[in-house]
Amino acid sequence: MSTKARRITLLVVAVVAVGWPAMLSDFSRSLATDGLIFGLIVLSLVLLTGFVGQISFCQYSFAAVGAFTVGSLVAAHHWSFWLAMPLGVFGAALVGALVGIPALRLSGLFLTILTVAVALFFDRFVLAPGTWNSFSGGLSSWVVGRPSFLGIHLDTSYRFYLFVLGVFSLCSLGVWNFRRGKTGRVLRAIRDAEIAASTLGINLTAWKLAAFAASAGLAGLAGALLAVSIGSVSTGGYDLIHSLGVAAVATVMGVGSVASAAAGGLFLVWGPEILRHIGVSSQWFNLITGGLLIVQLIVTPDGMVTDFQRKLKHLLGHRAARQAPASAAEVDVRERVPVRTGARS
Amino acid sequence: MGAHVVLGYNPQLLPGFTVIGIVLGGVYALAAVGLVLIYRVSGVLNFAHGAVAMFATFTAYEVSTVKGAPGWVGALVAIVTGAALGFAIEWLTIRPLHGRPALVKVVVTIGWLLVLQTAAGLIWGSTSYHQAVRLVSKNGFHLVGTDVTVGYDQLTTVVVALVFALAVAALLRYTTLGNAMRAVADNPDTARLWGISVNRVTAASWMVGSAMAAVAGVLITPLIAFDTFSLTVVVIYAFTAALIGRLSSLPMTVVGGFLLGLAQTYPRVFSSLSGTADLVTFALVLLTLGVLFRPGGRKVRVV
Repeated sequence: MSTKARRITLLVVAVVAVGWPAMLSDFSRSLATDGLIFGLIVLSLVLLTGFVGQISFCQYSFAAVGAFTVGSLVAAHHWSFWLAMPLGVFGAALVGALVGIPALRLSGLFLTILTVAVALFFDRFVLAPGTWNSFSGGLSSWVVGRPSFLGIHLDTSYRFYLFVLGVFSLCSLGVWNFRRGKTGRVLRAIRDAEIAASTLGINLTAWKLAAFAASAGLAGLAGALLAVSIGSVSTGGYDLIHSLGVAAVATVMGVGSVASAAAGGLFLVWGPEILRHIGVSSQWFNLITGGLLIVQLIVTPDGMVTDFQRKLKHLLGHRAARQAPASAAEVDVRERVPVRTGARS
Repeated sequence: MGAHVVLGYNPQLLPGFTVIGIVLGGVYALAAVGLVLIYRVSGVLNFAHGAVAMFATFTAYEVSTVKGAPGWVGALVAIVTGAALGFAIEWLTIRPLHGRPALVKVVVTIGWLLVLQTAAGLIWGSTSYHQAVRLVSKNGFHLVGTDVTVGYDQLTTVVVALVFALAVAALLRYTTLGNAMRAVADNPDTARLWGISVNRVTAASWMVGSAMAAVAGVLITPLIAFDTFSLTVVVIYAFTAALIGRLSSLPMTVVGGFLLGLAQTYPRVFSSLSGTADLVTFALVLLTLGVLFRPGGRKVRVV
């Protein structure tokens, strides 16, 4: 896309994103808000998978760190949201870096096992009633009010929507900028040719840990926002199935582009809602997501949004459009333990 | 509210817990052997393994508990369902991905996990607990010299698990299909040159592996909560056992299964926290990934 076309597209998107929800009902607006928050979680996967080539099935565990930090500190210790939120993001980033340590030696296949184990560990141990009630709230949930921002109380749904939209835009812009700048080149170099990257003097350890920490921090931020958006934090929403679902949606949309984060988030929120509207149980949603994931991996390996963007670029006659990075799974991750070589004695 | 940790150590519980741990371990070993078989032959880490076990077990539940057929009929139905699901996954979604990175195939199995998990929830209800399929009576006998009662169902579970694990070892070692499977596991291209139908052998490994998952599912339901989620996450326990066998050695995988079963059970002597089993699992996953999967680490002999 030419610069002009891109500017016009961005302007249209911005006008629609700010103006359209003003005309919606409170309920639809809060759905749109949650969609953007889920979009942040998808964005955290775009950062990790699309740019570094690592996959994670425990993004909701990182989100839980943010959400429960805010929940416990605000509800039980009467902290300000603005103090608890950074702490939650930092905590999530720290946990992310810890999960990233084994990933330094384990790229690819075996990391998936680890991340599922992490999700299960959070799901069934850390957040289980009785283990750490002053963090998880035990059997009850934390009740959190909406904060004020620059003197404006974010109590109405439209104000809060605009606030979340701002946060989402800033984060998307940040990730998009990463990709274009030096950071993006370094991360792509690591993704595409690890050994070559290290010979160029790139500190693999630091960059990989930073990518994990940043991704987990984004998920933690989403968790913190979700806490004040819903108004309560309870353990049900942060389990393994949610983590698998968001990874599936991110892959279906395409982890190569920032746009798929917004699309993925809205899909996660509106999908069940549309199903309910046409009289189908929203339980069907995960079945549809799983089915879409299977079909998409076989039919359009790069993901639907990425695929659509490329077609759009072709349509606009910009043939030299940079190839979008491959999808999560398409990223060739070199195994430390060979899968099918005859090296075993 | 603090953590409700029972700090009193009660040695009288130990023998009973050993029995429970061994029974659980047998089931994990069985599921893990199926997982390793699939991984070795097709190169796919099958995250849907637990979901396949869950779905197959629910068909057994439908036949035996709901419709009232004998337990062994239900188990047979589960085995057939498991094998059919394994075949469907391989034939419909793994085979078309030939030549694509291993991670793609892993993500496909995540898709199957979501599909099977949700489908089972829609058919049988996702939150409620279900009555387990019983193959034998719950009566038991006293272990000589102790006051520990071993249930016939517990004994059956361990025996069936071991018999199936040994049967797979025999299959791999003494049959033509087993030889073909080992050949494909070692090098599919060379195997193809020798006239082995790699597709057929791969499909067979998925069917056998998934059938083992189904048996494990039927056997484990009297021991753990019988709902869609609890059985689906058994895949992580199977992976842990398989990791102890470095995803290649079947004997070590069986050892890993028993080790995990005991390691999950013993902490309950000290702590009543519900999540202790998952804490132990997580620690074992970290340990095995950290220690056994060192780059350039010692290779373990196959089968």
